[in-house]
Amino acid sequence: MGNVSIRDICTVIRSKQAGPFRLTFDLLFKTKQLYEIVKMSGAISKRQIADLYRMPEEKITDFVFYDPGLALKISMVRPKVAGDPGDGDVYGCQQHAPLLGLKLSLPDVTGDMMK
Amino acid sequence: MREIRALSPGKLGHGCNPHEIAMGLDFNPHFVAMDAGSTDIGAYYLGAGVPFFPPISIKADLAPVLHGTLKRNIPLIIGNAIATGNNRQLDTALSLLEEVARENGLRFKVAVVRSEQDKDYLKRRLREQPIQPLGAPKELTVEDIDCAATIVAQMGVEPLIRGLDTGAQVVLAGRACDDALFAAVPIREGFDQGLALHMGKIMECGSMSCIPGDLHGSLFAWLQRDHFILEPPLKTRRCSVHSIASHTLYERSNPYLQPGPGGINDLSTTRFEQVDERRVKIWGSKWIKDPVYKLKIEGVRFSGYRTICIGGIRDPILISRIDEELSAAEANTRERFRSCQGNYQMIFRQYGRNAVMGALEPEKEYVPIELGLLIEIIADTQELANAICMYARGTIQHAYYPGILATAGNLAYPFSPFTVPCGPMYQFHIDHLLPMEDPCACFPIEVLNLK
Repeated sequence: MGNVSIRDICTVIRSKQAGPFRLTFDLLFKTKQLYEIVKMSGAISKRQIADLYRMPEEKITDFVFYDPGLALKISMVRPKVAGDPGDGDVYGCQQHAPLLGLKLSLPDVTGDMMK
Repeated sequence: MREIRALSPGKLGHGCNPHEIAMGLDFNPHFVAMDAGSTDIGAYYLGAGVPFFPPISIKADLAPVLHGTLKRNIPLIIGNAIATGNNRQLDTALSLLEEVARENGLRFKVAVVRSEQDKDYLKRRLREQPIQPLGAPKELTVEDIDCAATIVAQMGVEPLIRGLDTGAQVVLAGRACDDALFAAVPIREGFDQGLALHMGKIMECGSMSCIPGDLHGSLFAWLQRDHFILEPPLKTRRCSVHSIASHTLYERSNPYLQPGPGGINDLSTTRFEQVDERRVKIWGSKWIKDPVYKLKIEGVRFSGYRTICIGGIRDPILISRIDEELSAAEANTRERFRSCQGNYQMIFRQYGRNAVMGALEPEKEYVPIELGLLIEIIADTQELANAICMYARGTIQHAYYPGILATAGNLAYPFSPFTVPCGPMYQFHIDHLLPMEDPCACFPIEVLNLK
């Protein structure tokens, strides 16, 4: 179990469709310092995201840190195409919720950094 | 030209703020562009051909930009009109433009750039070479083309430039890359393609990339030879490096690469700089041309008629055994319609319990105190969908389950009618790349005088 809640180190945690066949997730970090710590630590991994969403890892098409936006971008193949029978989220904008529960192991992060 | 100035009033039909449009026009733009749609809104709009926004909202947004651009004699470019850019939507857009012209005493020339694709043309192309998938799971087939309700191709800057070349004051385009709507004028004037497209990618959402972000607000850009600067006309809004850089991520699968017709915009060397409190400078985005020019084609197929029913469940005894009762109701309904002519699908969504995430939901065992049940039937005809939905509704309404105490009914209806026919439904099935020798060949242009 990690010591830092993802909610305390991000300004944005969102999901959206990227075309009807893909879902994409953006995590924008509060500061360059927090962003760098997360990026270097490997505390978030492709494997972990795949497990969280019950997805085979090869369905995660992108897992990219984006320095100019202090962001982590994750994209995956949608289990159902947007708006297909049984799909529940055409825009894909409510698929981020499980990310909000992530706890990361970041021993270097102090309370001050998250203010 | 030393610089190109561009105004984005936001998305056409969203309800663009006329005050911000007026302020943006005072910055003296060389053109105004508006995105009027997307395929994000789902397959229905591409298939049914109806506008996403009501005509009254579209006209309200058109009037101030038409007045402003005609008065200044600068082009207005509208793309993805007016949802997904198929012919029916484009014709509706044209008639709305005509109404606005008539009601406001305006006269202007419009170049209509169409994007709907002919099935025989695509089949001929398919005989020449395989058509590879982009997002779709496999190569395009003749059956995919035959069963499509509508197919459009997404244009790049070239057909838009050709539209501008006609001298029309308004370029009304079908399905188009949103960034191309803003990049066409600068690229026509010889400005850098990578910068022009990156500018377009941020501009297309109006002030959504600002602080505070607003769907209804404007954004202005100054494009120079080696950079561009963004500023929202409204003084209480600002751009920050973080807000602009993070918008670069939005709705796309990779932040460093923005593929489009004819190439890919490489944003890995892009730099962002805060010029002052409200303005951001951007440079370094590089356009890399593909060896083969490819267009994205998008298509949907008709897959039935939908009827829905919404009912709330608050009884904890029923909620504790809801899965069993829905299975029983489904079996009962299937038995009843066993010999009916036509196919159908029956879907129960339990809002409050994994209706939103489906297969991606980690917390499947959660038991809520109330449930929103959505009964959804998709059938070959609307009559059949209506009949099955009504029967399934009645079966659940009066399900007599073990331990039942509430024998008056199981569903709290939010309104009457209980069942609602939703009309035809469509599914995306074409999302492929079509190699082209001429980037304009799929996009015929006609020029009309409106008054």
